[in-house]
Amino acid sequence: MRDIYKLKRIVPVFIFILPAVSLVIIFVYIFSGWSAWASLTNWRGIGHFGEFAGLNNYIKLFTQDPIFKQCLINTIELALVFIGITIPLGLVIAILLDLGIKGKSIFRAVYLLPLSFSFVVSAAIWTWMFAPTNGAINTLLRILNLDVLTQPWITSTKQSLFCIALVYIWQFQVFATLVYYAGISGVSPNLSEAAQIDGASTFQKYWYIIVPLQKPATLTVLTILLMYTLRVFDLVWLMTGGGPGYSSEVLATYMYRVTFNQNLFAYGASIGFFMFVLSILIIIPFFSTVMRRSK
Amino acid sequence: MQKKFIGIALTICIFLFAGLVGLANSSSKLIIYHWWTAGGEKEAIDSVFNKFNQKYPDIEIVENPIAGGGGGIMRAQIKTMIMAGQSPDTFQLTYGTGMIGSFAEVLDPIDDLWKDFPVPAMVKKMGTIKNHQYGIPLNIMRNNCLWYNKAIIDKLGIAMPLETLYDFYIACEKVKNAGYIPYAVGAGGGQKFWWVHIAEQFLLGLPHGGPEYITKLYGGKADPANDPAIRELLEALRRLVVNKYINSDYAALTWDQAADLLMTNKAAFYQMGDWAKGHFTSAGWKPKVDFDYQPSPGTSGYFTLHLDCFVLPKGAPHRDAAIKWLKFLKTVEAETAFCPIKGATPPRLDAPIDMYDAISKDILNSFRNPKTKIVQSAWAQPPEAWLDVYGDMLSAFVIDPDVEKGVKDFASAYKRVFGFK
Repeated sequence: MRDIYKLKRIVPVFIFILPAVSLVIIFVYIFSGWSAWASLTNWRGIGHFGEFAGLNNYIKLFTQDPIFKQCLINTIELALVFIGITIPLGLVIAILLDLGIKGKSIFRAVYLLPLSFSFVVSAAIWTWMFAPTNGAINTLLRILNLDVLTQPWITSTKQSLFCIALVYIWQFQVFATLVYYAGISGVSPNLSEAAQIDGASTFQKYWYIIVPLQKPATLTVLTILLMYTLRVFDLVWLMTGGGPGYSSEVLATYMYRVTFNQNLFAYGASIGFFMFVLSILIIIPFFSTVMRRSK
Repeated sequence: MQKKFIGIALTICIFLFAGLVGLANSSSKLIIYHWWTAGGEKEAIDSVFNKFNQKYPDIEIVENPIAGGGGGIMRAQIKTMIMAGQSPDTFQLTYGTGMIGSFAEVLDPIDDLWKDFPVPAMVKKMGTIKNHQYGIPLNIMRNNCLWYNKAIIDKLGIAMPLETLYDFYIACEKVKNAGYIPYAVGAGGGQKFWWVHIAEQFLLGLPHGGPEYITKLYGGKADPANDPAIRELLEALRRLVVNKYINSDYAALTWDQAADLLMTNKAAFYQMGDWAKGHFTSAGWKPKVDFDYQPSPGTSGYFTLHLDCFVLPKGAPHRDAAIKWLKFLKTVEAETAFCPIKGATPPRLDAPIDMYDAISKDILNSFRNPKTKIVQSAWAQPPEAWLDVYGDMLSAFVIDPDVEKGVKDFASAYKRVFGFK
């Protein structure tokens, strides 16, 4: 009797989650498996799948492809700049919002705006801003007689990746702020009141109580941003196309070009599968922490 | 009463749904993909669509223009569609052994459509894969064109045409000293492949280069690590960069934005195929008055070309409409609707030439001159990967123009295009 009751409760749950789970299984795991299999072949060009070639593509990737190494380094650099700035910035702005700065509602509206832009729009805006000859930034600097500060921006091998990181920061700090703001809002007011009674200043209250309590929020933001950085494609593709040279080429753009422009489908699949493994490695600590907490 | 109402509503819904499905699968559609979106080319293909619609008013053209990458973005899209079993009815490709060869397995041969199509034998040959034809070429493009701003050139008293690369560098120096950009380049926004185009025209005019070497190189039979032509090419590109003959923001501009540097009197020369003429004229510039052209220095008597064609993919959902489209494209009417606006040359030998401007007539006469040596461009002869691999390699070279390293990189890129195992 109890079993039938249990079954009656479980079956609808399974029915409800079945569509979502099926889609994830088909489009994530089956296709990732298929991609892993493709990476072990010599598939080139459309029309024929190729034959089994063992780990040949991976050996080539890690030992004979300097562009891949450059892309990996660029991806790591992009992650460091992007995440290294986005997280502290998001936290600081969330604290400012929590402090109730003047004109908070206007600030919030203006501040949230970048989140509503698609990457295509952002890329168009910032490409125009960064244009070295008649872009907005350099033009403004010239108007202010600060010609010495004008930069080549996206046309420089040394600055192109940084420019792209800056646009990602501009767009994603909103997300970081929202997560932190939710985290800060969730801190029990009793803790703040207790700190105030003990004579803690506002800075001390945030530094010793509220910020340390944001570890789960930080972990969430860090994991999501890290995973996003791994598959960064849109802004790189639209703003620089990976150039000049290979200076802003990242793993995802390289995978795309190798697969679709060079018709090396199996080789592209090996880059894709490598990215998949990296994503798994990033997400494991997140899940293990979440699981530990839930226990 | 309520049951009756629901029954009627359901019947209507079923009929509507069936009607919509029927409409979606009707043969009165033509799903077409192309990459003509810039000034001149957009107007040109629209003109062909209009003519086609006049002839076949029952066929609705579902146009999908995808800009970017010299067609690379559109080709990538097409590949995913074909692999997913969602072939369009027809799509644009550059016409040549390498490019069509990259797609031949997923295309249907159209040998029958090639009957009574009076194009030069060489054109037919360059699109023949294993004795079959796969595309109907609509226009011929000359690649080795050096465009110039007449006002600047006249003002500086530079005698045109420039016969050799040596003359070209002297002219560049003069232009630079006068405060203009000598040579406009736009290889930004994912268009690194324009370095391939520039390199090709340099290679054609170099002592160890020329048509035979380019054909050998694109055919996978060269030895770039030891061929003197490659060293000469990299030296020539190095000279261009080191002497600052190109605009410093080349990595932020697309090809049409670089062409605009001529129109805004900022740059004197611009290396681009004859499609640049369509861009100039669509913006109101007058041929021979505001701008003019010459074959790229050292390439007089040569004609680097590629053609645009449309193909018939296997499994095209509206095959009859696609065949009508391809049949229409091979007519004088279609070529005449398209080529004068785009600034291109009609492939048909019987296409009239009186409606073309002086520059197009000159290009056309050069093409039809039996003494002209025709060379397939990087868009036509080598495998599709050439554009991407060498776009990367050359764009990296111009940042760090070390010739020794460049030769090694060139040879390694060659291996990737022809010897990737």
